[in-house]
Amino acid sequence: MTLFETVFSGNDAVYGLTENAINAAIEQHGADKAISFPNTAYSLPCYYAVTGVKVGTLGELKNALGVVKTLMTRENRTHDVFMSGVATALCAEFIEVLKYIDGATPYEEPCYGHLADAVIRELGVPLVTGDIPGVAVILGKAPTTEEAVALVKSYQAQGILVTLVGDIIDQLAEAGMKTGANLRVIPLGKDVTSVIHVVSVALRAALIFGNITPGDAGNLMKYTMERVPAFVNAFAPLNDVIVACGAGAIALGFPVITNQEGVAEVPKSLICQPDVSKFNATSLEARDIKIKITNIDIPVAFASAFEGEIIRRGDMQVEFDGSRVDCAELVQAVDASEIEDHKITIVGPDVDGMELGSKNSIAYVVKVAGKNMQSDFEPVIERKFHNYINCIEGVYHTGQRDMLRIRIGKEAFNAGFRLKHIGEVLYVSVKNEFDAVVDKCEVTIYTDPAECTRIRHEVAIPTFDKRDERLDTLTDESVDVYYSCILCQAFSPSHVCVVTPERLGLCGAVSWLDAKATNQLDPNGPCQVITKERPIDERIGEYEDVNEAVQKLSQGALQDVSLYSIMEKPMTSCGCFECICGIEPFSNGVVITNREYAGMTPLGMTFPELASMTGGGVQTPGFMGHGKHFISSKKFMKAEGGIERIVWMPKELKDTVAERLNKTAKEMYGIDNFTDMVGDETIATDPETLVAFLTEKNHPALGMDPMM
Amino acid sequence: MPFNQKPQKFNASINTVEIGCGDKAIKLGGECTFPFYTFDAPMENAPKIGVEVSDLGIASNIPGIQKFYEGASTIGEIAKKAETMEGADFVCLRLEGGDPNGEDKSIDELIEVVKEVAEAVTCPLVVEGCKNVEKDTELLPKVAEVLQGKNALVMSAREENYKAVGAAAGLAYNQKVGAESAVDINLAKQLNVVMTQLGVNGQDIVMNVGSAAVGYGFEYVVSTMDRIKGAALSQNDNMLQMPIITAVADEAWSVKEAMATEEDMPEWGPLEERGISMEVQTAAAVLASGSDAVILKHPQSVATISKMIKELM
Repeated sequence: MTLFETVFSGNDAVYGLTENAINAAIEQHGADKAISFPNTAYSLPCYYAVTGVKVGTLGELKNALGVVKTLMTRENRTHDVFMSGVATALCAEFIEVLKYIDGATPYEEPCYGHLADAVIRELGVPLVTGDIPGVAVILGKAPTTEEAVALVKSYQAQGILVTLVGDIIDQLAEAGMKTGANLRVIPLGKDVTSVIHVVSVALRAALIFGNITPGDAGNLMKYTMERVPAFVNAFAPLNDVIVACGAGAIALGFPVITNQEGVAEVPKSLICQPDVSKFNATSLEARDIKIKITNIDIPVAFASAFEGEIIRRGDMQVEFDGSRVDCAELVQAVDASEIEDHKITIVGPDVDGMELGSKNSIAYVVKVAGKNMQSDFEPVIERKFHNYINCIEGVYHTGQRDMLRIRIGKEAFNAGFRLKHIGEVLYVSVKNEFDAVVDKCEVTIYTDPAECTRIRHEVAIPTFDKRDERLDTLTDESVDVYYSCILCQAFSPSHVCVVTPERLGLCGAVSWLDAKATNQLDPNGPCQVITKERPIDERIGEYEDVNEAVQKLSQGALQDVSLYSIMEKPMTSCGCFECICGIEPFSNGVVITNREYAGMTPLGMTFPELASMTGGGVQTPGFMGHGKHFISSKKFMKAEGGIERIVWMPKELKDTVAERLNKTAKEMYGIDNFTDMVGDETIATDPETLVAFLTEKNHPALGMDPMM
Repeated sequence: MPFNQKPQKFNASINTVEIGCGDKAIKLGGECTFPFYTFDAPMENAPKIGVEVSDLGIASNIPGIQKFYEGASTIGEIAKKAETMEGADFVCLRLEGGDPNGEDKSIDELIEVVKEVAEAVTCPLVVEGCKNVEKDTELLPKVAEVLQGKNALVMSAREENYKAVGAAAGLAYNQKVGAESAVDINLAKQLNVVMTQLGVNGQDIVMNVGSAAVGYGFEYVVSTMDRIKGAALSQNDNMLQMPIITAVADEAWSVKEAMATEEDMPEWGPLEERGISMEVQTAAAVLASGSDAVILKHPQSVATISKMIKELM
């Protein structure tokens, strides 16, 4: 039998039962007999939510059944299957309401049956906040009592609300397991129709918490699909009625996981998982439920208070040192099917197998998977490892990539700290902080020297090289969007950074990749996408879309900015800039000074003096704040001729940027050792001496057009 | 040349949010001009004044406040008295005793206080938590529940707990929700965005964008409110069109000008006058910057600000 036929026949069977039951009830009580569920203002909740019509008497119930009949179309399309599923659910509600006629109490301990509105308001808040991360609907009889208990307990431990229908209720009772709303395990009833009481919860939640208008079936199903994280676990054997109910669940967006072999699977909706012990993992993955981890299971404390802690040699149990032996830390984005969540593997000896005070190899590879994960986020996550590992009490971490060093203190070791705890810390921290992009995470820690050598040279270094290459080839032209950053508006209200691959935020801390990751992780946060589809002037880097974004984000304070000019509509500066660049009229060039340099510049002003006229989110032609990295960018004041204009920098800054700046100068102008032509405070701090020096060096700026 | 007045009327307006029920219900917001620019267009609703009471009772050493509440001993009596204050539009109950670093009153105890106040007053009610995020996350949903049908304003949902407070107050129990941020237009906006994404109707949100006493970094407050009203009106940014409520009393009465005794600072004059002065100046300034409601403590401040609003309308 096809899935269509199964659903249709199940639906027909339930419809027949319902029709008979209603007719019998009318015969007994008359059509005017009032019917309702207790303690709800939405009676009958499911029918009311779907149609917008309230049903109060048996006569009205019969009419409603006529409406249900119209849903039961019989073409072999998914729509018909879903609607027949909904029709089955509504029939179940009708059968259930008949049980409550004359104020009867059809359900007895431990079963709940219909749940009052007050329960929904109470459960709704934790559901909305995610404190209840999901709702499991378990239906039927588990293969064994032990499996029934284990499954329910696994959900309970995750804070998931469990509702039970059918024989599993007896199985739990047999095992002596306590149930009840306060334990978040709610037995509904033994008949399969009692499943409607949890559907009723979901639909009333949509009316109460989603402001859905009763009768707006489209938005109702959209709401349950997007906002009610419910799923169904249905035990074999499945009959037509259960499958028809399942179709109703799927119509509401709730996947059905079953151990019935041979069922016609529907991806992400109807899934066969023969192993009941894997129901939990399969269900959570199918419904995209992420469990928040609140505590890290390690024998020492974990807090930012320990971040600055230093482990001296004498206090050290062992160390791992990338400058002497092969070490590496690496994040790899992989496909979800390749990894098992929360698996931590140690390859090689653990800390207790290492000699006291010894120097060892370590390589840890954190594999992550997620629908929104991109390989561009790998370094963003990896950069946080330093911070995570340092927050462990008695453990110290410096460096990054393959130049890292970790020390584990004697006290931490004696408290029971081992390598798997590093894995635990990495796992929990990555899952918590990057939950928007990471769905699954697996950690492998290598200490076997040969393995570490292999990981470092065959896996890590090629990856790092590839990333560096990507950064080098990432140009403003090669991307489709830029990002805004308005983190600094708290104190610089009209400032907006436009972050491009070749122009990082002026604080130096937000690269285009960082901004992209920030946008993914916090879609309403400070970094928003700026399109660049409507260029106005390529020379100075002005775009209509960029101007619109800047106008909006500065609340109208800024009208237009250019990305590549210091003279025409320059970008504003907040106050966090690493460097300030200012026009030096005698040489046709510019002077750059950095925050760390306290001395005088040839402009006759120090950094603080320059900062006072550059910052505050205003456009000051001739001056701009920028990050250190921007100095070697090909886009550095491109409109005015680029880096050739740089005539002076403090020596320390010059040395820091020399290698990259010289490379750019060579590429763009064929100049060797460009920084040798650039003055510094050991050469001149006044314009006359500086110009004499530049003349002697034949600095290219001298021959360029004046900037104003 | 004759003066030619050009009204600066915007095609956008601040949301009108009603708090309370019946005759005494109040409306916050609704304006389509800058604060008190009545020459551009009439202000839809006058800014409102709330009187702050605390679950800790009258802890004040200020004679004017002690005298006003004379004879009132229970929190119900205090609240009843507060609503009779000349110029008061609503009562704001602060549950400061819930603070785990202070009296750490239990939630049940605090809910009893809320019930008592709700029964005692007929004016609209605003309830503020204890400022401790964890405690408020538990407390405020319960407050929203116990005030069902009162159409109260529950303060405040913050970035850390907006889901619990927003879902309970804004969705489950149909109250109005206060959205609190710390003097930053972007954070204020972001909170409104995530709260509406949660499902809370933007028309049910009142912003508390943070404040300071005058002279204590107050220019940040002015700039934030100014820019919020600017974006709401001139850019029609509907994520910033929520009316603003500002808890002035708490800020104004906890700075040294309002706390140092006369013995310590004889040259500053009487303590009570200084406190009132701080409270009045702060309130006047936040109203002029765009607040649609202020929460005050001293009867004389309430009377003064009430008079100011009437004169400016």
